[in-house]
Order: sequence, then structure tokens, then C-alpha cells
Amino acid sequence: MRQLRNKQLRLSLAFSALLLPAAHAAEVLNVYSHRHYEVDQQINKLFTEKTGIEVKIVNAEADQLIERLKSEGANSPADLLITVDAGRMQRAKTDGLLQPLKSEILEKATPASLRDADAHWFPYTVRARVILAAADRVKAGEIKDYEDLAKPEWKGRVLIRSSSNSYNQSLAASIISAHGEEKATAWAKGVASNLARPPQGGDRDQIKAVAAGLADVCVVNTYYFGLLLNSPDAAERAAAEKMRIIFPNQDGRGTHVNVSAAGITRHSKNPENAKAFLEFLVTPEVQKLIATGTYEYPISMDFTLTPTHQQWGEFKWDSETFPKMGADQAKTSRIFDAAGWK
Amino acid sequence: MPKTALKNSRHSLAPLLIWLPALLVLLPVLVVGWRAFESPGPIWQQIVESRLLGYLWQSVLLIALVTTLAVIFGVPAAWHVSVHDFPGRKIFEWALLLPLAMPGFVAAVAYIDSLESLVPFYIWIRQHFGIEAFLISQKIAPWVLSVGVLSATLFPYVFLSCRAVFTREAAGSLEAARMLGAGQFRVFLTVAVPMARPAIAAGASLVAMETINDYGVVSAFGLNTLTPGIFRTWTEGYPSAAMRLALVLMTLTLIFIGVERWQRGNRRFASDPAETPLARRRLGPTGTALAWCVCAAPLLLGFLIPGWRMARWAIQSHATMDWANHFIAAANSFFLAAGAATLITAGAIILVAGRRAFHGRSLALAQRVGILGYTFPSALVAVGVGTIVSWLAAFPPLTTLALSASTFGLMLAYFVRFLAVGIQPTAAGFESVSGTLHEAARTLGARPIRALFQIDLPLVWPALIAGATLAFMDVFKELTLTLVLRPFDFETLATRTYRLTGESRIPEAALPGLTLVIVSLIGLIPLTRLLRNRPQ
Repeated sequence: MRQLRNKQLRLSLAFSALLLPAAHAAEVLNVYSHRHYEVDQQINKLFTEKTGIEVKIVNAEADQLIERLKSEGANSPADLLITVDAGRMQRAKTDGLLQPLKSEILEKATPASLRDADAHWFPYTVRARVILAAADRVKAGEIKDYEDLAKPEWKGRVLIRSSSNSYNQSLAASIISAHGEEKATAWAKGVASNLARPPQGGDRDQIKAVAAGLADVCVVNTYYFGLLLNSPDAAERAAAEKMRIIFPNQDGRGTHVNVSAAGITRHSKNPENAKAFLEFLVTPEVQKLIATGTYEYPISMDFTLTPTHQQWGEFKWDSETFPKMGADQAKTSRIFDAAGWK
Repeated sequence: MPKTALKNSRHSLAPLLIWLPALLVLLPVLVVGWRAFESPGPIWQQIVESRLLGYLWQSVLLIALVTTLAVIFGVPAAWHVSVHDFPGRKIFEWALLLPLAMPGFVAAVAYIDSLESLVPFYIWIRQHFGIEAFLISQKIAPWVLSVGVLSATLFPYVFLSCRAVFTREAAGSLEAARMLGAGQFRVFLTVAVPMARPAIAAGASLVAMETINDYGVVSAFGLNTLTPGIFRTWTEGYPSAAMRLALVLMTLTLIFIGVERWQRGNRRFASDPAETPLARRRLGPTGTALAWCVCAAPLLLGFLIPGWRMARWAIQSHATMDWANHFIAAANSFFLAAGAATLITAGAIILVAGRRAFHGRSLALAQRVGILGYTFPSALVAVGVGTIVSWLAAFPPLTTLALSASTFGLMLAYFVRFLAVGIQPTAAGFESVSGTLHEAARTLGARPIRALFQIDLPLVWPALIAGATLAFMDVFKELTLTLVLRPFDFETLATRTYRLTGESRIPEAALPGLTLVIVSLIGLIPLTRLLRNRPQ
């Protein structure tokens, strides 16, 4: 019996270690984050070194974090919510989970078209969802817009990941904003019927499969392409070098972009620390770390930080549909289901 | 007089206490049954229109293909090691159980890259047979791999149940058929297979149940069966729709159990195992070669190839391995499994010993309800327990303890699913110990609890250890429930293997996967002993 109790004790000790973020020490920042890149740990460490504020992270997918914030209500230990999707931030704001923040530093550092008009959240990195084409099989100018992906001449030539992925939901939301739900459904149907294989794997897998000749074009986020171009693995670099990058819809509304963004939670116990952390994220030092570590665009959209970004060059981004992302995301499951896009 | 009354009232409370583990098992199903009647809103119609049919046909087709292939792998192999003698037979006899230690989602790690290496083949098909054939071939490949991986890791259930029949029950009839001059092949098809049919059905139904609950393999290869469908709906934020789907899955499971019962029927064959030992027939070179092919193929596919590939990756990637997180995950797996095994063993003792101490038909029913948990689909248990957890987390004093609520949820889910694993050996242990010792102790005035601790438990502890080990193993390699119910930032070896596979970090996924396999191998020891003893 004693042994049993010992085991239970050990068990509860092991798990109580997980409860640490609930501690309310003064110099602490509790972050609920969807980001899980190596460079983030480096950034958090740097912040602690500079301010003495300890950063405690709980990692999970954005939807789970939002659900958890809702169920915890005023008791939530979280100070800051970080996601990689403006749509999710807009929903968190609508659900009353965030509080507004007045910060001149943030207002100056972030483009007005990529942030919340009521300052409930601020972006700090940018990623564009682009088309990559096999340079040897697709002529320049053969594909220009997202809308082209649905055209019959691309049958069996397109690769894109599953519709359960938030990047695709946001892209589809931008199509809904631009054309309405009916046309967006037709678009999703067209893309689904052009796929060279049922959706599988992540963005990197799509690039590798196009390089291997399975399809001619794929849709990916820019930083995955950047990571492959600069990979320590020679085979990955070779695959990426076979691609030509196409920023879609340059003659129209612009390329669909999304952001990593952070907002202070409504019931934050350490809002000052959260503000300091947010302002720290947009400093040139951190922005350079991000650009060279994950190949995301810095929030300043300064293309000169890495040779990779410089080579891709400037582009026009879609600021027209960006603010409506959260509202239109709710409709995307309907259009994906109707299109049979798994 | 008042004293006896007191004693009686205590006795009438005891059965209620004994029912407690059984009621816990029913809890998630009751929650799901109740919440499924809430209106899920327009999403339900959308799911019925565009997803449900796909989920259903994919689930049924997968179960049919996997069980068929598992039977094809398992029955001939069991036949050869039971009735023939050939070099290597003894090795195959135990080696064919090894795939039981290889969870499907771990074996999938070793096969997933074949999707990529098939690309030149697809391109060849596109060049020669056009784009439609190209698209179809890509839809077929994940099916071939999923069915292959699942059947090659699950066929031992069929192998085991058939081996018991061939060596014991069917021995006399097989011997008679031989003496009447029937050829080997004819004996196999006309005597052995029909006699083994109930055993095949029993083994195949276990394979079907595991396939129904599989999440790791089908989602790695991108199949859309009900189990991943339920989790998708659940994570999209439609709990009542997910619960309706879970009830559909439960119905499907009940149909399969019904089919198995019907197959088994009342078939009993008159034969006396003790008096007719089967003389193993020595095989010639051709026969030996055939037997080797039949036995080696599933062993290679289900254990040796994935094991070898993962061992190589694990060695190659040891320098870049994230050891710290690997050990944290291993410790998490260990503590969860140890905790759950303790609870399950305690629950099993309460049900089995309680039934024995207090008799009564209701307690027999309690034990049967406890076993029922094993037939509840993982997805159903997960959404049921998930709902209970969210209620607990919203309960004011517990809100900041959301993490411990989900740990509690995991324990409850494991308890529900695997209590049967603990009950069966425990019940067998108690049956093998004569009840008279317990009765004698009671007659001499010992309270039931004292009789349990001083008389029964010291006698049945080997069975308890066996049950606890089996429960430990099942929880240690559990993926589906853990994936859904675990606290944030909490990884076990199973979820780590699955996540790294999903991120195409195959070499890194090898080490946690391999660790699972090695620990599971230890669990095979009590399992084989248990299975060897059962038919007696």
C-alpha cells in the first residue's frame, strides 16, 4: 500500500511540474503560443537576459489555445497569445479574449495594413503564400494568379497540402472575400480536381514532390522555400533550386500574406511584461534573427536582411482581403467539403 | 441484534462500491450518448452530405482488407508451425508473435518514405497510361501501404488463435484425415480451415477492432476513416457532431462483434486434446521452402524490415538526437503507464475479488461491464472523456488546474479502454485458486478485506503482475487517446513518434518508435504465457 502511495506521489510530482506556468511571480511572462521554431527559444532567452523577465511557453495549435483561453476565463494564467494566423487573432479578438494596447513603438514598426485597427494584436513576422513552379517544365508567365490553379489545363499538375491546415483556410478565406462564396467553391473544386495526388504532407513535401517530377506547380509559404534553399542537406537544396517562385495576383489584389502575431490577453496578470516583450519582438536585432533563422519576412518588409529575400524581390501583398480573414475562415470548411478537398 | 443489522448494512454498501469501476467504464459512453442528442447545428448536415459516406466506406473497406490479409498471413503460418516439422520451425513459433510488439504507427515510420520513392513509378504510369491512371495509382498506393502495415502488425492475433486449434482441438480430425489418405493441401482446406473457423473469426475480430481504432497509420498515409474523422470534427469545434460520428463508429463495432458471435455460433467439436497429440510431419525441401516463405513474409513485413530500418536510422541520427526531450517523453510514457496499470489492477481486483466475496448476479454483470470497455472505440472514449475534462476544467476551483484535469482525463480514458486487459488475467488467477481457502478464512471470522489481502492476493499475484504488465504495455504504446487528451506541451514516446513522422523527420522518429518496440517486447512474455495457459 505504501508503495502504491509512493507511486502516486511521484506521479503527482511529475505532473505538478507541468503546472508551473500558473505561478504568479512578478517577473514572469506566460505565453500561449502556436509557434514552435528553434529561433523562438533563442529570442526568449535573449529577452530574459535583457530584462530579467522569465518567458514561459505553452505550445499548442491556435484553435486549442483559443478554446483554452475561453474555458479558463478570468483564471487564465496566460499573458500573451501568439498565433501564426491573422484570422485566428481576429477571432480571439471577437471572442473577447484580447485587450487593446497603446504602443507607439509597435505602431511605428508594423505596417497599418497588417495589424488590427483596434490594436488588440500586433504582427511581428510576415509570410507569403506563393506558387512554386518547376523551372524546366513551366514557362515564365504560364501561371500568374491563384485563380489559375483551378483552370483545366493544370489537371494532374498541382500540389497543395490538406484543407485542415490553417494556411489553406486563410488562402481560401481570401478567395471568398475577393469573389464571394459561390465562386470560391468553384475555385476549390477546380483546384481539388487538378491535384496530382490526394493532399499529404507539409509544404516542404510539396516542393520535394514537384522537384521529383510528380507535379508542375505547388502552393507553399515562402519561409519553407527559404529553409529548403538554405538547408544543410544538399538534396533539399537541389530540390529547391529547381523551382521558380511566383508571387500571385501581382496585377490584381496582390499576393496572400499572413502574419505571426501576438496580443495581450484580456485577463493578463503581467500586461507590462507582455508589452515589453511585444516591443522587443520588433527590434531590429530580433527581426534579423527571425529573417535568418526561419526565413520569414521581417515585419518591416525589409528585403535586404538575407540574400534569399533579396533574390525574391519586392511584391505587392493583398491588403484588401486581409482584415476579413477571420470572418471568412468560418465558411472555408463548407467550401472545402463541397469541393472534396481533403 | 443491532450488531448484525450493522453488518448487513455494510454488506449492502459493498456491492455498490464494487460496481464503481464498472460505472466509471460506462461514464464516457453515457456522456457521448447524452450529448449526441444535442443539436450540432448546420455542421451536422454538412458532415452527413459531404463526409459521412466517405468515412463509412473507407472504414468498412479498410477493415475488410486488413482482416482478409491478416487471415492470409496468419492461418497458413499457424498451420505450418503446428502440423509440420522443418528447420527453423521452433524459431518461427515464437518469432511470429514479435509483430505484436510493433505498433502500426511505429511500423508506418519505416514505410512512409516509400510513398516518395514511388514517384518515378507514378511518372512512368503518367507517361504510358495517361493522367487518369496516374491519379488512380496515387490513390491506391496509400491503401496498399496502410493495409500492408496494419495486417502485418496485427496478424499474430489470428496466428495465435489458429495455432491453439491446430495443435489441440483439431489434432484428432487432422490425424484421421491424413490416415484416410488426404493430401496436405486438401487436409488444410477441407478439414483444418473449417475447424478453425471460429478461431479465425475470433482472431479476425481482434484485428478488426484494432483497425477500427487505428489513428496513427491511417492519418500517416492520408486515409479518411471514421476515427480520424471524429477527431477532425472534434478539433474543428463541433463536439456534438463528433459524438454522433462516435456513435456511428460504435454501431459499426457492434456489427463486427455480432458477426463474430454469429460466426462462432455454438460450434464445438468433439475431440480430446490430451489423448490425440498431433504427430508433426517432416517436410521435404520443397515443403520447407514453402513453409519458410509463408512464415517469413509476414515476419519480415511486420517486424524485421521496420525494426531493421529504424535501428539504422536511430544509429545514424544519434548525434543530432534531441535526447533531453526523448527522455522526458519516455518518462511521461512510463509514469502514465505505471499509474494506469496500478489503477487498472486495483479496479480489476475490486471487481473480481468483490464478486467472489459477495457473489450475486449483479456483481457478475459488473465484471462483464468492466470488460465491455475494450469494445468501446478509442475515438468514442476520447470525446466522452474530453467532455468530462472540459466540465472539470470549467469548475471554478479547478480552472487553474486545467492540466491536472487532462491528466485525470488520460487516466480515466486508459482505465475505461484497458480495464478488460487487467480483468481477464485477474479472473483467471482467482479461478485457478480454490475458493475454499477464502471461505475458510471468512468462516474463521476474517473480514472480506482481510481475507483478500492475507489469503487471495498472495496466491494470485503472478496473475496480477501479468495483468498489470499487459495494461502497462497497452498504455505505454497507446497513441489515439493520448494524442487527443494529453495536456499541452506533453509528449509521450507514442505521440513523439507520430508527430515527428508527420513532420517528415523520419530518422528522428526512429528512436522513440524503437524504444516503444523494445519495451513492448518485454510485455510479450506474460502475454504468451497467458495465451498458452488459456485453452487448458
